[in-house]
Amino acid sequence: MIGQLILNGFINAALLAPPAVAFTILFGILKFPNFAIGAYVTVGAFAAFAVNVQLGLPIWVAVVGAMAAGAAVAWLSDALVFKPLRGHAPVTLLVVSIAVAFILEQCVRLFYGGNVRGFDLALERPMRLWGLRITKEQLEILVISAVITLLVHLLLTYTAVGKAMRATADNPGLAEVRGIPHRRIAVFTWLLCGAIFGLSGFLAGLDLVIEPHIGWNLTIPIFAAAILGGIGSAGGALLGAILVGIAEELTVLVLPTTYKVAVGFLIITILLLFRPHGLFGQAEIKK
Amino acid sequence: MSAYLVAMATYVGFFMILALALNLQWGMTGMVNFGIAGFYALGAYASGILTAKAGWPVGFGMLAGAAVGAAAGALVALLSVRLRDDFLAIVTLGFAEVVRLICLNEDWLTEGPRGLKIDARPFGSVFGREDYALFYLALVATAVLAVFAVAEAIRRSPYGRVLRAIREDDVVASVLGKDVLVFRVATFAIGAMFMGLAGALFAHFIQNISPYTFLPTVSIFIWMSVIVGGAGNNKGLLVGAGVVMLILEGSRFLNDFIRVLDAEKLSSIRIILIGVLLIVILRFRPSGLMPEEKFKPTSD
Repeated sequence: MIGQLILNGFINAALLAPPAVAFTILFGILKFPNFAIGAYVTVGAFAAFAVNVQLGLPIWVAVVGAMAAGAAVAWLSDALVFKPLRGHAPVTLLVVSIAVAFILEQCVRLFYGGNVRGFDLALERPMRLWGLRITKEQLEILVISAVITLLVHLLLTYTAVGKAMRATADNPGLAEVRGIPHRRIAVFTWLLCGAIFGLSGFLAGLDLVIEPHIGWNLTIPIFAAAILGGIGSAGGALLGAILVGIAEELTVLVLPTTYKVAVGFLIITILLLFRPHGLFGQAEIKK
Repeated sequence: MSAYLVAMATYVGFFMILALALNLQWGMTGMVNFGIAGFYALGAYASGILTAKAGWPVGFGMLAGAAVGAAAGALVALLSVRLRDDFLAIVTLGFAEVVRLICLNEDWLTEGPRGLKIDARPFGSVFGREDYALFYLALVATAVLAVFAVAEAIRRSPYGRVLRAIREDDVVASVLGKDVLVFRVATFAIGAMFMGLAGALFAHFIQNISPYTFLPTVSIFIWMSVIVGGAGNNKGLLVGAGVVMLILEGSRFLNDFIRVLDAEKLSSIRIILIGVLLIVILRFRPSGLMPEEKFKPTSD
């Protein structure tokens, strides 16, 4: 029982880790929590659905479609909304990002309605590993998620563009003075994060069902994972995702499942009350 | 048609009270609250449960609704003073969701998703059916005016000046000898009290409250009202609440005349319109339709 719950927790974490890492990277350049990330996830899920089911193309093409669509809406939302509105108070921009989330989600709803959908995949019996049930899709999610998270970590740590991204997030002015093309790095960050959100939409659609609320429901657990890990750290976000994922599953032991949605919030609240900068985050210096 | 207009105007009234309350917390004092729907729900359920299940008179129920709002507001404010703005946004949003989940799951108290039926109405036996809607509109309008008067009085008073000082720089305010914590908690509680009152008024108007009424979207629409109207300006946000409500509810009219779109599609378009409106207003009028009046020292 506990073993199965923990395994489910890891699958949960696999869904949360890539978007939590992307969220934390994006936070570095935006400086406010972007609530529209859930909508990018939703767009990714529906793009994959359109490619796989409506166009009848193989599932790997759907993955590419999801990433492309996620990158496109993320970049568009920056170009049309966030970039022109830079300079407003973070809270105002936060409300704007919710407005962007509403707009994207309702656009999806306009075309697809509120119905529940799934990919065109053959149903298979779950496999049994040491007495634990796991489906083939869930195994794929675990692998893809681990690979993506590792790749992003390597990109941030070892490549020139990754270092430029971190420098820009840390101090845009200084990075610019040192010859880092700020705008180009920002656009690259948006496209990369958008693609990860799109991919997360595909993964979520694989494990859960595809519906317009799919991304919104993931938003708070994603925030919880990123904040738990300390904003700005990819490794922290991964660890945060594992903790949140397992916590969400284990609470069914003490609380009715209907309260599962509140777990993400409760984790954030309790954590922030005692460690206002996250589990591994450092207090920032007020400039 | 006219019955619809009266009902819509009453709804605008609830929105206006919520917006005035948020302006007190955020516009004047700079405290972030995304849990509006939670305080609104607490007021509604407190008054609804006390009148429908405990047999309290409506007037006391409404007062209790406001009191519960204030108490919850003080608690949330006390717990969250250390948090930065954006984290506070997430925590208050979470507070509202927890309130909503409790209303959804604790059937014995709230009747859960079926909704709590509330028969009690203020002066319910005095007016006929047609007149009652008008009476309730007048009651809500009076409440709006009263909350507006209190908010304006606070804004003009020395107390309001301290709030603005805290908003601009809390360190300076505390160096000047103001107890920032007390001001913050008190102001947040007053705002939450108004939200609770709005909830109680709403409960006895709609007479059947369910958790689905108190979705986070309510909080977001109030935020949009305040930003569109102009944070810090009480008159401006009355306009903002009116505009947002007009788009939300008024476009239902459209459906009576042109039947091109089904209700579901129209509801999507409404929300898209509000989102676009917010972005366009912020782009071209960054301080909202009616920006905050600059403080002018009186010359004598």
